[in-house]
Amino acid sequence: MSAASPVVNWVGLWTIIRREWSRLMRVPIQAFLAPWISALLFIFIFGFVVGSRISQIGGHRYLEFVLPGILMMNIVNASFLQSSSQIYFSRFLRYVEEALVSPLSYAEMIAGALAIVIVRSVVTAIGILIIAACFGVTSMHGILEFLFWVICVSVVFGLLGIIIGLWAKNFEQLTVLNVFFIAPLSFVGGIFNTVAMLPAWLRWLAYANPFFYFISGLRHAMIGFSEASESLGVTVALSLAFVLGITVWRLYATGYGLRE
Amino acid sequence: MIPALSISHLRKVYRRGTVGIEDISLEVAPGDFFGFLGPNGAGKSTTIHCITGIAEPTSGTIEVFGVDAVKHYRDARRLIGLSPQEFNVDQFATVRDIVDWMGGYFGMTAAARHARANMLIERFELGPHAKKPFRELSGGLKRRVMLARAMIHDPALLILDEPTAGVDVELRRDLWRYLEELNRDGKTIFLTSHYLEEVERLCRTITIVAGGRIARQGTKDEFVAEEGGIEAAYLRSTGAEPAHIAAAQ
Repeated sequence: MSAASPVVNWVGLWTIIRREWSRLMRVPIQAFLAPWISALLFIFIFGFVVGSRISQIGGHRYLEFVLPGILMMNIVNASFLQSSSQIYFSRFLRYVEEALVSPLSYAEMIAGALAIVIVRSVVTAIGILIIAACFGVTSMHGILEFLFWVICVSVVFGLLGIIIGLWAKNFEQLTVLNVFFIAPLSFVGGIFNTVAMLPAWLRWLAYANPFFYFISGLRHAMIGFSEASESLGVTVALSLAFVLGITVWRLYATGYGLRE
Repeated sequence: MIPALSISHLRKVYRRGTVGIEDISLEVAPGDFFGFLGPNGAGKSTTIHCITGIAEPTSGTIEVFGVDAVKHYRDARRLIGLSPQEFNVDQFATVRDIVDWMGGYFGMTAAARHARANMLIERFELGPHAKKPFRELSGGLKRRVMLARAMIHDPALLILDEPTAGVDVELRRDLWRYLEELNRDGKTIFLTSHYLEEVERLCRTITIVAGGRIARQGTKDEFVAEEGGIEAAYLRSTGAEPAHIAAAQ
């Protein structure tokens, strides 16, 4: 009996995306409205109200300075929450077995999960850019650079979310990384301030923090202002994506958290 | 002739050391209606999980129509449809989506999926429930969805893990008729069930497992011909002697 599989199961890959989009559309408030409202509040309070009393930073209005950070924080959250909840719930409700019994390769399963992560991040980002435009912030220094950072950071945190989604045994564990790692590091990564504003003895915290490079990279893409070396930022982001990608691949190949 | 399913010295030890299967070898001929029986915990579902990719075999080989189910898992899985014992679905998804997504995973085009899903939804009388979330369905309807999902890609080997558990008598009989019809058309069916009446009616070959090993294999006619029929043979094979035989001794 002949049943040779195609090299890439494109329909299967597309089905993963369709299916997850359908799941997202069951919770549009949680998936999209919540980050947009959160961004609106940040932009209004920190950018508009507080920002009007702060002098320019790097030749830019404070609102223009904080927007990339607010955007990055929401992209990180959207990416991580998307993949971690996708993987965790598919394990928890056991419908991950539908993918396991089908002719999908590990690469297709991972690519499908990351594709929907990018879709969610991009939709979230577009919404925030529209909100920012309502406050008169429309600057875009380099659109390709902007897309690179949105997609690359989405992939990094999408992969991290997959690892947590595979590891978590309960809802509590699902939130551990977000509470103790993502939120604190994003806040000290230069969303609201420059490294120069930090005491000298504390600056190492920014330089050792990958969020600092992500926020700086996105800030450069949007307003042309950066405190970090461009090439170093790109190297950090691509290296993290590579290492996490290999890790996720190994976890799938060994069936960790997926197969009995 | 290449067997529809060939399992050789399958062993499964879980990560925490629990032995799910000690040593199982069996062959299922193409077109057979194969009964796979055993008490709870005997290794039936674990065997099915190893065949379908839900579990990783520790050792041994599994071939589906000559295709190695581990080395060439993608090719092997195209040949298998699984209706599992437990409802492993997104409970909030609609019936049509559940069936359609499975077809998508198997690489079916939208037109092929649509046509096949319509046929199966009609065949299993799921039409009025097609847009309902799975969680709102009764137990019997949920079983039908499992079967429709298993058959969306028209698999050559249909694996049914207790497909009639929890369904009413009418539906059970209707499913039996449908499975007989499928088998007559050449579909190989691998069935596990605790209903011996079901096995006696449907299966031509029977294998009994106990403690992760094959306890007995034979044709249905051989089992039926024994004193006490299939039930007595089953109880003897699993180490639980039927009362009337024990009393006679």
